[in-house]
Formats: sequence, C-alpha cells, structure tokens
Amino acid sequence: MKKQVILYLGVIVSALVMAILFGSCQEEEFNPSLTKKFTIKSATNGAVYSIKVGLPTHYGESAPEKYSSIYVLDGEEDFDFVAKNCQEISNRYSKANVLVISIGYGKDRSIDYTPTKVSSVTGGGPEFLHFIETQLIPQIERDFSADTARISRVILGHSYGGLFGAYALAVNNKLFGNYLLLSPSIWYDNEVSLLMEKQNRMSIKKRHQLIFLGIGELENAGRMQAPFEAFYQVLHDHYTDIHLEKNREPDLDHMGSKNPNIVKGLNYYFQNR
Amino acid sequence: MKSNNYFTLCVLLFVNSFGFAQKESPTAALQHNPVRLFTIEPSIGIHTNFGTDLLFSALVQWSPSKRFSLASHSSYNINNITQRDFNHIKTDYNYSLNQKFGIGTTRYCKRSAHSFFLMVGIKYTDYQETLQNPNLDKVSVAISSLNPDYGLMYSMKRGWKKYFFTYRMYLPLYPWPVKSTDINYTDGNMNNIALELGVGIKIK
Repeated sequence: MKKQVILYLGVIVSALVMAILFGSCQEEEFNPSLTKKFTIKSATNGAVYSIKVGLPTHYGESAPEKYSSIYVLDGEEDFDFVAKNCQEISNRYSKANVLVISIGYGKDRSIDYTPTKVSSVTGGGPEFLHFIETQLIPQIERDFSADTARISRVILGHSYGGLFGAYALAVNNKLFGNYLLLSPSIWYDNEVSLLMEKQNRMSIKKRHQLIFLGIGELENAGRMQAPFEAFYQVLHDHYTDIHLEKNREPDLDHMGSKNPNIVKGLNYYFQNR
Repeated sequence: MKSNNYFTLCVLLFVNSFGFAQKESPTAALQHNPVRLFTIEPSIGIHTNFGTDLLFSALVQWSPSKRFSLASHSSYNINNITQRDFNHIKTDYNYSLNQKFGIGTTRYCKRSAHSFFLMVGIKYTDYQETLQNPNLDKVSVAISSLNPDYGLMYSMKRGWKKYFFTYRMYLPLYPWPVKSTDINYTDGNMNNIALELGVGIKIK
C-alpha cells in the first residue's frame, strides 16, 4: 500500500514537473515600452477589436521616417513572436524595421476570416475586410509614421487567417502589396478563394505582389496540400510582376509549422521587399 | 489550449495505468506467474485525430529479466481513411510505415502485466492529393516524408494463458523538444497518439 502511494505521488510530481516545463515555454512578451494599445469598434459589424502596434526600436527619435506595416491576424496569439522576429531580422539585414499591427479577435475568427457563409459561424470576411480598409488602416496611417503606399503594407495570417489573406488578395488587391500566408485554408467552401482570384485575375495579375506561401509537410488531412499547390501554380503561371516563394516545413503539422513559416516568411519579405 | 488538454488527458491515462498496475502485489504475482520471455502482439488501432487513421501493428517483446524488457514495434497506418474526397480534393493514397525499438520495464500482477517503454525509430509517410474542382485546373501533389520518431509506450497484457488480450498506447514526442520546446510543435504528436487493441501470443 505504501509503495502504491509513493508511486502515485511520484507520477503526479513528474506530471506536474512536465506541466511546469511545458508551461514555461510560453512566448516571451515583446518590449512593452515599444507597444501601443487601443481598441476600435467596427462600424460594419459592431465588434470591438483590440489593436496593438509594435514600434521599431528608435521610432520617433530621428526625423520623421515612414515605416512599412505588417498587419497580423490572430494577433492575440502571434503578435509577440512576429514583433520580436521583425526586430531581429531587420537588424540582421540592416533594413528599416516595420510597424507590427496586431488585430485581436472581435467576432469569432471563423466568422471574421471566412469569405462566404456556409454555417452560422462563418462568412464575416467581407465586413472584416471593410473594417480593415475603412477604419484600421486609415487610423494607423494617421496616428503613426506609416507609409501609405500599398507596397508598404503586409498581411500575415495562418490557417483561416491565411485564407483571409488570399481572399484580400483576390477581391481587394489594392489594399496590401505583400502577403505572408501560412497553411492557408484554401479548401474552404469548395476553394471559393481560388474562384474569386480567377474571377478578378485580369485586373490584378500585372500589379506588383510579394507572396510567401508556407505549409507543414505533414499536413496530410486530405484538404491542405492540393489547394495550396493549386494556389501557388496559379500565382506562378499567371502573375507577371511577382516575388513568389513557397515553403514546406519538414516533419511538422498544421500548428507546428506556423512559427518556422512565420520566420521564413519574414526573412523572405525583408530580403525582397 | 487544445494541445494542453490532450497533454492533461495523456498524463491522466498514464497515471491511471500506473495505478492499475499496482492493484495487486507484484511479488505475489511473480510467485504464481512466470515472466513471459517472448511475446508477439498483433493489434489494430486508431490515432487520436478524431479516429480517421487505421493502424495495423505488431509488438514483439522480449523480457530477459523480471524488470527489464526490450521491444520492437512495427505498424502500417492507412491515414485519413474516412475523408478521401472532400470539397473536390481527392486523396489518392495516404499511408505511413513505422518501425521503432524500445527499452523499458514490466510490472507483473495477478492476471496482467504492464510494460513501459522508451521507443526510438523512424516514420515514413507517403501521400498524394488531387484537386478536381471542375472550375479550376486539376493539380496533384505527392509528398514523401521520412522522420525520426521517438516517444513513450504503455503496453498492458491481460490473461496468463498462451493467448491474451493486449492494449497499447503510444505517445510520440518528436519533434518536441528537438526542433523547439514550443507547445505548438506538438500539434502533430497530439493528433497521433496511437491506441491499439489486439491479441497476444506467448512464444516462450
């Protein structure tokens, strides 16, 4: 009986130690003194979005300089990682850093990031894109030293966020000039984003684009790889003024490949912008 | 958050397994039941990714002493068997081959034996998807991937005659912590926890 109790306690303590180890792997916060926070209520869908802006290290110290801006979807999860990596990578390549804009959750991400309605919790993409275009971007470019040129704006999204980036590329291409799309859910609604791109291709294919597509090699659930490849082929075959790169991250699945692809996407952007 | 829930579930399963193993005195059990030297345990199973993978596996276990065991685990997995045609995306084939070897320990009870192994091996995954949307160009992509594979295995044998029931659970750890200690990297692992049931044969 005593042995049994000791063994139970041993296992529980081991489990707690492992839980602490796992817990300690939380992402380190981006420098709070370089982070501005505010909220915006969307006039289109009524949702309140928490916005964080990560500033370059020497922001505001010298003569007014216009910075490029990266709009990060799922910002509540990815802002710190993206902001820290932008700082490191821009330093490495001796390039000017960017403003990193985190867009927090207003409505459910499955509502905001999906372009068409296939259930009660999808289809808010058009309203969300309208909010970004008419409220968020104007406010960022009014209140911060952000370059207002399309080519200086980047959108970064993963999974449904990647789908939303592909949707923005297809239907409102004048908004962003750079797309970092990671494991995009192109399969959504019978590849509707590819159909939208096809519909609008004539008007956007000659415009300059920088597009990085990333995915995990082990995303083998029967929906991710073929549409991803189809999207890449379309961009490769039809777009004339494009910086295009794709990356399949070895040994990793949908969530595991996210951070490595963010790093590779940012590297590609800073090298080729 | 999903990964943390899976992790908690796994810890609870392991704790429960340990507890179950200790319900009867191991010393008393050993007096009545000799150590099985050599067993073969073919099984079928599923992964925890909503049960869409079907596994055919075999564990060969050799226990040269009371507390020390060696194992070889082979499996052929038909992946994603229930969703081969989704939104115009056809899965042409999708399978994995795994081979692992492990060392561990076995605890003997009155009617059962419980083994815990640290397993190391390789995993080969091969699949092809084709997009066949009538409004888009047809595109196929084939991917082959060879990965290291290591993790923890729990194996339970129930019954003391020549044939016995066997249950196994394998928790893959790779790529954690080799590629990163970030919990997000274990996404694939948590979807690929193997649960297997079968009938074992005592050879010696």
